[in-house]
Amino acid sequence: MTTTVAAAAKPRLGGVPGYDERSAFLLVAPLAVVLMAVAVFPIVYSFYISLFTIKLTRPGRTPFVGLDNYITVLSDPQFWYAVERTAFFAVLCVSAIAVLALLMALLLNEEFPGRRVLSALLLVPWAIPYVANALMWKWIYDSNYGALNGLLYQLDFINSYMVWLGDSDKTLALIANAFVWKEVPLATILLLVGLKTIPADLHAAAKVDGANAVSRFFHVTLPSLKSSFGLVVVYETMMAIRHFDLFFILTEGGPGDASHVVAWRIYVETFRNLSFGTGAAMAYLLALATLALAYVIIRALARKI
Amino acid sequence: MTAITASPLVEVRHYRTRSRLRRAGRGLFLAVASLLFLGYVLAPIVWLVSSSFQSEHEIISKPPHWIPQAPTAQNFAAIFAARDSSVTYETRKARDPASGGFIPSTASNLLPAMLNSFIVACAVVVLNLLVGVPAAYAMAKIHFRGRQASIYAILATRVIPDIALVVPFFLFIRNLGLLDNIWSLIITYLAVTVPFSVFVLVSYFESVPDELDKAARVDGCSRLQTLTRVYLPLARPSLVAVILFAFLASWNEFLLALMFTQTPASQTLPIVVASFTSDFTISFSFINAAGVLAIIPPVILALVFERYIVSGLTAGAVKG
Repeated sequence: MTTTVAAAAKPRLGGVPGYDERSAFLLVAPLAVVLMAVAVFPIVYSFYISLFTIKLTRPGRTPFVGLDNYITVLSDPQFWYAVERTAFFAVLCVSAIAVLALLMALLLNEEFPGRRVLSALLLVPWAIPYVANALMWKWIYDSNYGALNGLLYQLDFINSYMVWLGDSDKTLALIANAFVWKEVPLATILLLVGLKTIPADLHAAAKVDGANAVSRFFHVTLPSLKSSFGLVVVYETMMAIRHFDLFFILTEGGPGDASHVVAWRIYVETFRNLSFGTGAAMAYLLALATLALAYVIIRALARKI
Repeated sequence: MTAITASPLVEVRHYRTRSRLRRAGRGLFLAVASLLFLGYVLAPIVWLVSSSFQSEHEIISKPPHWIPQAPTAQNFAAIFAARDSSVTYETRKARDPASGGFIPSTASNLLPAMLNSFIVACAVVVLNLLVGVPAAYAMAKIHFRGRQASIYAILATRVIPDIALVVPFFLFIRNLGLLDNIWSLIITYLAVTVPFSVFVLVSYFESVPDELDKAARVDGCSRLQTLTRVYLPLARPSLVAVILFAFLASWNEFLLALMFTQTPASQTLPIVVASFTSDFTISFSFINAAGVLAIIPPVILALVFERYIVSGLTAGAVKG
């Protein structure tokens, strides 16, 4: 035993270069333990919980119900309503992020004095906590004293102060705006990387061929950005469908159920109705949807490695 | 002959005026675009800061005072003084003219919560480095069975939504007896942040030539010595990025803290700040000041270490 360990510990210059399983194992072990304990185990445990009726209001009685929780969730029209709200929110957010981030990345890709300052300041929304972001927008949207009302009033767009977050037609769009403001910087940085990898020759060649700026944008820039765009769209979709913080602080799912998204529903089911079984089932469905999206992202990334 | 030489000259002059015009047009366009960019990114923050220096009386003026006419630091003073006196219904009405007496009942928890946030974030950073650096080095530089699979596994754990982990985390933490203890946050934040740290570090270690590794090994360095003496000094930019990401993610996290913390013993800054809005009288002047305090550390870190953050983000997102 000791001899094999000693032999394995020696650098094996003869065999496969750098092949050293024992060291690798020791170095990776702490990470493996952490991830097993706090990522793999919970996700398995979560599935296990979802097979039981666990209500904290009735401790001690946790009957096994199989896939009943999933059937309950999937046949609940409220759940599908939440799915529809989430999808609407995600589409709003992702399309706005894609357009804004592209415009910002195109600007930062130009050389001009002050570009460095702009790209540094771009990190400010990215860095601040979502809670601060939420409170900031809650104050801006405030129906009595908010800046949005004040600005629109001063510019004569409205004659009197309006209700914003409390209007169920506007709620999701306004929450989406707060989300977009915070997420655009990361998307811009990712697209900027894509822009920088476009060879300058490509633009020069198109120019020689007589292509103007607009057609160069559509025939050179956009096609080369395809993979960066894919990354941004998939990543931001994942972030949007799981988002919770803004809903908690801005609307608590309201008004009525106008912003009743899946993440909010999971929270209510679990921590207000204290029904852990169905909450876990819903959370598991959300995780599966995200993993399906992640599969797309991982395959896209794997092609680059 | 003369006609032939004359026409290029005219053309050149024509071209010059056109290019000067075009350059001026480009400059104007970039200036306008930059202003729109700045307005979009900064206006909400500037308004937050501006209103945090207004009294409760000024803050409710219609239309709003974009620049405070009577700037006051009383909102901040109220935060720092909140600890000294307990808040009751009577004292709320009597005290503090700046906020109109609307100091939230949880105001005194703000500074302890800031300390909690700081402790948790620092602990998460240290654990990230202890766990992440060796693993990233092994994944980047040592060939072993399951190396590719482990990279994929880390990618996969990175994308599990935190809301999906909330139920098992909650039961897990409750069974460990760690509810309302900052260790519950340290453990779970480590799990949430370490995949990204490993990701950033792996992509950095991979960019360092293998020869360095072999040379150090031939000279008799152990794996650990190779890592600490050769790679860590080289990897400083990516280490800075990892430290920043772990710190910011912990400082900003809300959902898990909402589940696991109940009292000021473990509540973090986002929880206490959010609790101000559920108070029955909302004082926006006070909340705005609290919001400014909450964003100062991340904003400073982001601006000071901008280069490291951008390179870390792009390495973590674009390359495996």
